[in-house]
Amino acid sequence: MNKILLIIKREYLTRVRKKSFIITTLLFPILYLGLIFGTGYLAESTKTNLHVAVIDSSGYFTKDQLDKQNGLDNSSLLTLIENKSGEKEFKFDSSDFDAFLFIPPLNWQKGDNKINLEAKKSYGPASITAIETKLNRVWDAVKNDSLHIDSVKQNILLSSRLGLHFTNITDPKANAKIANAIGLACGFLIYFIILIYGSQVMMGVMEEKTNRIAEIIVSSVKPFQMMLGKIVGIALVALTQFLLWILFIFLIYNITKVSSSSSDMNSLVGSVQQVITGINLPLILFCFAFYFLGGFFFYSSIYGAIGSAVNEDMREAQSLSFPITMLIIISIFMMTAAINDPSGPIAFWGSIIPFSSPIVMMARIPFGVPGTVPWWQLILSMSLLVGGFIFTTWFAGKIYRTGILMYGKKPSWKELIKWAFRKS
Amino acid sequence: MPVLELRNLKKYFATQKAVDDISLSIEKGYIYGLLGPNGAGKTTLIRMITGIFYPDEGEILLDGKKFDPSNDAAQLGYMPEERGLYKKMKIGEQALYLAQLKGLSKSEAMSRIKEWFVKLEMQSWWNKKVEDLSKGMSQKLQFVITVLHEPKLIILDEPFSGLDPVNSNLIKEEIFKLAQKGSTVIFSTHRMEQVEEICDHIALVNKGKKILDGSVNQIKQEFKENLYSIGLEQASSPVNGEAPYELLGTRNHNSIVRIKEGNNPNDVLRYLIQKGVTINSFNEILPSLNDIFIQLVEGTPAARQFQHV
Repeated sequence: MNKILLIIKREYLTRVRKKSFIITTLLFPILYLGLIFGTGYLAESTKTNLHVAVIDSSGYFTKDQLDKQNGLDNSSLLTLIENKSGEKEFKFDSSDFDAFLFIPPLNWQKGDNKINLEAKKSYGPASITAIETKLNRVWDAVKNDSLHIDSVKQNILLSSRLGLHFTNITDPKANAKIANAIGLACGFLIYFIILIYGSQVMMGVMEEKTNRIAEIIVSSVKPFQMMLGKIVGIALVALTQFLLWILFIFLIYNITKVSSSSSDMNSLVGSVQQVITGINLPLILFCFAFYFLGGFFFYSSIYGAIGSAVNEDMREAQSLSFPITMLIIISIFMMTAAINDPSGPIAFWGSIIPFSSPIVMMARIPFGVPGTVPWWQLILSMSLLVGGFIFTTWFAGKIYRTGILMYGKKPSWKELIKWAFRKS
Repeated sequence: MPVLELRNLKKYFATQKAVDDISLSIEKGYIYGLLGPNGAGKTTLIRMITGIFYPDEGEILLDGKKFDPSNDAAQLGYMPEERGLYKKMKIGEQALYLAQLKGLSKSEAMSRIKEWFVKLEMQSWWNKKVEDLSKGMSQKLQFVITVLHEPKLIILDEPFSGLDPVNSNLIKEEIFKLAQKGSTVIFSTHRMEQVEEICDHIALVNKGKKILDGSVNQIKQEFKENLYSIGLEQASSPVNGEAPYELLGTRNHNSIVRIKEGNNPNDVLRYLIQKGVTINSFNEILPSLNDIFIQLVEGTPAARQFQHV
């Protein structure tokens, strides 16, 4: 037992101290910060304050009305030009206006009313929409006046709308949209962790084999201990990195919350945080940790076995691990189906069978337990996953025992299975 | 009682009888040379002794008890022929880690590593990585790691490859000291001159079978051909039909002779004295292990062929 701890400690410390670990751990929050400030900054800087000349032939857009609107929103300035004789005479080129708006005689009882906005260069939709909104406010006032709708009626008209609010009666806190996002995020995170850290296990085992360290260690430690120590050590590295990322994100969110509320990404994290602070948090976190570790053990032991079976050649390892990688990718497809229909048959079977359950079940859980995912399904899925990884670890251990000290030709999957079921 | 006893070990691979019925017994304190041409089965034999392979048949006894790799690991030190270290790990940490895996406590391991590093002038290496070391340097480190836990049985596979004469001697001295302290050393090599310098006992394997074993002296006696080198005052030694030897040639002004059947060295001396020649030197020429090796292995193909098992 003591020796396994030693191995875990070495695997963990050498990896955590690596430059690549520190860089990827820091890079992620930096990218996230960049996303928040970058999009915020870009959104600010692409909006140009337009100074627009208005020539009104309808008589509705008075100077008073326009000034009132300019006061409400200073992102553009509309100035009424007292020139009713037509656009041709107006010396647009020599003026310092950015754009020029010609309002034709309008009829509020007719549907379509097109107004032309002309400018010397192109402007983004944000600037155009701002002007459109201003004009429509004036236009609304005109219509309201003509129909004798006072401000009280106006308020009633504006505020009275039908809204559809969906409630999951077994789990009122589960919000389908947010559940979708959390499910997707959890599924993809587990997917990436299994792929990235699983192949790290494989490379680590290959290193030990080609460096002949295995020969030195195997006489003092059982091969199974060696493999287990490596897998647990790397799982802890993944967990560390993951927790650091979460910590960074919530720190950054809370610090930047005040300064830039406009960023979409930030508001997404915000709403996720809102839901997470609700009642589901402990269960989701527990399940995430469980499926993360279960899935990691399930797959990484197989990756370890593959690493032990091949030689230095990376291509051998890739061709042998291809079927395993395919299983993980299929799980991701099942997950997208499961998110669209979290109670359907694909979601059910995908979340029960151990090879896809870490990804698929984790995508379903945010939709609500025991509403969408009944307790018996969760328990069945968890126990099958535990059984599954005990089996794969045992199976991989047998292959590892033979493979790590075997040199020469790359074995086929058939031979690997033969190694596993042979009596030692 | 022998420290290590191998009884009828067999290990067959798909296309090779790698080790085919080998028995050996090695006494405490021996420096034992395991010789054989390439592909003779030396490494397979060593891998069974270190517990890396299970033998197909036969027994390995350590101190008279059946060898159990997982429990007897602390009594064993194995240095493989190539590499055997983590490239990216710092040297000091690596030595500490491997020593702890062998069962030493951290403080114990630390003090022994420091002692060895001083002895072999490696103090400045502590924070370097293995990839920074030359081949000879990593060989030295590998040796330290092998013997750090003071194993009862030390197994070295080609320990001097890549070492310069100074470092070779340094390691050789340490091997002698370890043997004096009671460790038993097995080493596998095909460099005969090293074997003659270091080993007191050898076993020669070829094609998976042991073809010879015993002490170096005894083997040389067994294979001697009654050859003598005689240094005389005059240019050449007198030869005629009645001389108790035949002249094979001269080397460095010395005559190389083979004593005829039924005579002994005294007959030769008596004959020469009678002839009135002055004898400056008279030495027996024992065959070198190299000669014996070549003589025994000769006739078998240089590369081992695949066979059906």
